[in-house]
Order: sequence, then structure tokens, then C-alpha cells
Amino acid sequence: MSFPAYHATVPVQSSPLQSVSRASSHGRRPPILERNLVKGRSNEVSLSAYAFLFCEMLSYATKKSSGIQDMEKKLSDFGYRVGIRSLELLVFRDRPNRRDTRLLNTLSFIHTNVWKTLFGRAADSLEKGTDNEDEYMISDNEPNVTKFIAVPKDMNQLSCGAFIGGIVEAVLYGCGFPAKVSAHSTGSDQFPLRTTILMKFDKSVLLREKGFEPR
Amino acid sequence: MSSNSYFVIVGTRDNPLYEADLGQPPPQPQQARVADGGGKKDEHKHLNQFIVHAALDVVEDLMWGTSAMYLKVVDKFNEWYISAYVTASGAKLMLLHDAANTDGIRNFFQDTHELYIKALLNPFTEINSPITSAHFDTKVRALARKWL
Amino acid sequence: MLKQPRQTGDEIWKTRIDKISAELFTLTYGSVVAQLLKDHENYIEVNKQLDKMGYNIGVKLIEDFLAKSGTNKCGDFRETADTIAKIGFKIFLNVIPTIANFSADSKEFSLILEDNPLAEFVELPENAVGELWYSNILCGVLRGALEMVQMQVEVFFVSDILRGDDVTELRVKLVKYLEEEVPAGED
Repeated sequence: MSFPAYHATVPVQSSPLQSVSRASSHGRRPPILERNLVKGRSNEVSLSAYAFLFCEMLSYATKKSSGIQDMEKKLSDFGYRVGIRSLELLVFRDRPNRRDTRLLNTLSFIHTNVWKTLFGRAADSLEKGTDNEDEYMISDNEPNVTKFIAVPKDMNQLSCGAFIGGIVEAVLYGCGFPAKVSAHSTGSDQFPLRTTILMKFDKSVLLREKGFEPR
Repeated sequence: MSSNSYFVIVGTRDNPLYEADLGQPPPQPQQARVADGGGKKDEHKHLNQFIVHAALDVVEDLMWGTSAMYLKVVDKFNEWYISAYVTASGAKLMLLHDAANTDGIRNFFQDTHELYIKALLNPFTEINSPITSAHFDTKVRALARKWL
Repeated sequence: MLKQPRQTGDEIWKTRIDKISAELFTLTYGSVVAQLLKDHENYIEVNKQLDKMGYNIGVKLIEDFLAKSGTNKCGDFRETADTIAKIGFKIFLNVIPTIANFSADSKEFSLILEDNPLAEFVELPENAVGELWYSNILCGVLRGALEMVQMQVEVFFVSDILRGDDVTELRVKLVKYLEEEVPAGED
């Protein structure tokens, strides 16, 4: 292998790092099973790094799918795996040893705690469906990832919604409130990227809720 | 102080994700099943599974009457107690034991729950699928020695 | 006088970067790896797919990087290494790998990742230890990004603490400087 002649190797002043040929392992994190979960990294990465990854996930899902529905399902699966894990981690840190048994508490937990942990702020609204008593909606005026240019605009709302929908579905299922979850674009002039997650709850959930009401 | 007990983590489809006989030393892989002549140990295991499975319905009822994860003793079968604990994402930790030990079991459940979360966070752990990590098994057994 | 890269990276990170939960990032990457494994059932193939995804990211990411960092052409490969570690890694992943093991001809170096946000929760299954490079997406990212600024490089992992190694070491080898031309896309 030859190198172009014009590339001369210019010696630079050696930095102190150069003297350490292998990094010391003092800062090395222990394996996951040995780690303290309470103290997470409490760290951040750049939104654009996340958006680039998200975009690749989206294009992979597109390539592997036979149609829009199939793709939405795939993206929802990506989100589901994130949702179940986030749920356990979040509850462990923020409200150890406690579970919500009521639907409204669980919905508000998602709208507020889950959103804050994952997306940095609470969702913009939580509403009950007007036509059907088994339906609820959580809306985000501007989902974090969609803001970013790396995701193609025509795709991003749909895909981002499906991914977030998967997270919500996982959290609901994990908490014992199984629901059919779907994502919808509900953009307005003011919030063109607004996305609504529609949750249609299983009969068993509503029956159980009724049992809680004073007779 | 240690007594016989059987621990199982049950997934949301009532499927076992992990189980361990905590009274005996861990089975030698391969050997155990053959060495015992097969029969007795398996029979014992099946009975344990049967008892725990029967208690799942009770857990399903009780868990909606409290916001606690630890449900304490939920069922009895002959001389056996069954204690249960429900995690945030609906996995059930079940312990079959022959001596009352409410606080020890609480600690055991809380610690195995944390361990379960760590195992679950690993992307190679499939949701609702058995946990096969040997490391996980070792740590559960250490927790059993500590608390039970 | 130009600022030190480390200072530049810190400053950009503090003032010009929108941020997101590192755990969401970790879990999402884990979800991607899990899906690739489901679809390909072969660790070597997963390495390739991750590298490919990384490449696609790299060719786009470079623009974002140049815009945010205001970096000019790097003088030589040592400067390139410095820029990658102290500005690139810093402003995207908020970590700074250590640069080590520069070859005598200054055409090869290693990045030692003490802290790797991709692999935060990972324990490799035993049968993956000799085959999977869990964070292989990074190789593609560097290859794609450097190609866009006229550097053809080979990037690969030589060790990973997930495999039981002492350190996680990424090797970057300069193959050649490319002529100014439109690079051929991959795949």
C-alpha cells in the first residue's frame, strides 16, 4: 500500500497522553450486574447523535418492511424494547417498591414521568376520548426527535410516532393496563409536528377500574 | 438458618423466566439430572412449579388491592408458604419457603428485583424470555444465602 | 491563537448542543442491535450491518460536525486524531476517548474509550464474545465522516471490555488522502 507523495508526516509536539500506551483501567465501569442502578450516568448525549441513530433505525425498518403497516409495527417493536426497560429503571429510581393500580395514575405517570425521563419534559396533553370511554390520548406538540433535520420530514412524524407508541404500549402493558396503541399526526399551523398517541384499553382494564368505584 | 426454598421469576404470560432450587447447592450442569437417577429431583421440581402456578391467580387478584410490590405470603400449600412480589413491568417474583421470614424475604425480593432490572437492561435479554446468564444465577444464589 | 481542541469541544458542548437522555440513546441503540440480531442471527453479519449504518451516519454527520465545530481542514493526521477525540466524540457523545498508540509513521492511532455510552448496560452472551463488536457502528461513522473530508481510513475494534479485554480500543488507519472528488456512495 503506497501513500501519496504529498502527504508528509509532520512531527507534532507530543502530548502527555502519548506516554501512556494503554489507558489505565481505574475509570472503567464494572459490569452491569455489579453496578449501582440508583446512580445512573445522569448524563446526556447530543440530540443530533440520537437523531442520526434514529434515522438509521427508520431506514432499516423501511428496508425490511413490506408496507407502511409493517414498518409501523417494526418501529413500534423498537420502541417496545426501550419502553419496558425504561419503565423498570424509572420506577426503581423514582418510586421504588410502588405500583400504580389505577388507570388515571398510570396515564399521568406516562404523560409526566416517562416523558420527562425520556424526552426531557412532560407531554403537552392527556385527554379522554370524547366518543369512547375506553380511549385516552397523550399528545406531544413537538416530539424531540422530529425537530432534527437528519430525519426526512415526510417520514419523521409517522415513524417517530410509531416508535413513541411502542414505548407507551410497553409501559401500559408492563403496568398491567394492556391497550391497543396507535400514533397519529395531529399537526396544526401552530404545531405542525404535533403527534397524538391514542390508547384503546382492553375490556379487562375497564372492568377492573369499575370494581374500584364505590358501590 | 437456611431452609429449603424454591425461587422463580414468572413473565407476563405466566411463563417461567428463571428458577432456582435454593435449598441445595446449584446443580452441576449436565450431571445433576443423570446422577440423581433423574426421577426424584424432577418430581420435586414439578411439584414446586405446580404450587407456584396455582398461586399466580391469587397474586393476580391481590396485586390490584395494593400499591406495594411486595405482597408477602399469598398462599399456603401443606407446609409450604408462597410469597410474591410484582415488579414495575409485571414480572412476578415467587418464593416457595417453609419458614416465615417476612423481612428477609422482602430484602431478598428487593435485591433480586434490582438484579432482574439489570439483566433486563441488557439488550441481549429478550423481554419475557428466560434469563440464561450464569452470572445472574450466581448472584441470585448469593442473595439467597444472605437473606433467606 | 487557536484554542485547544479540548476547550473548543467543551465550549461547543455547553453552548451549542441540544441534548437528550444518554439512557434513551443507550436503550435505543440496544434495541437496534437486538433487532439486527433477530433478523440476521449471525454476529459477524451484525458487525457488518452496524458498520454500514455507521457509514451512512458518518457521511451525513460530518456536515453537522463542521458546522458546529467550525473546524478547518486538519493539518495532519495527529491533528485529525485530536479533533475526532476532543471535539467529535465530545460534542456528539459527551465523552472524550484517549488517543494512544500512534504508529511511528503517524498514520495509525487508537482511541481508547473509557466511557462508552453505546454499551452502558451490555453483558455479551458467551457465544458472542469472540465474534460481536457491539459498538461497531462507531467504525462506520468514522470511516464515513473522514471519507467526506478526503481521508480514506480503515477503522476497527481491536479490543472491548465487553469481551473481557482490559480496554475498549478502536484503531484508525489512514489508507490515503483522497483527491477532491465526489466519493462513491456505499451500497
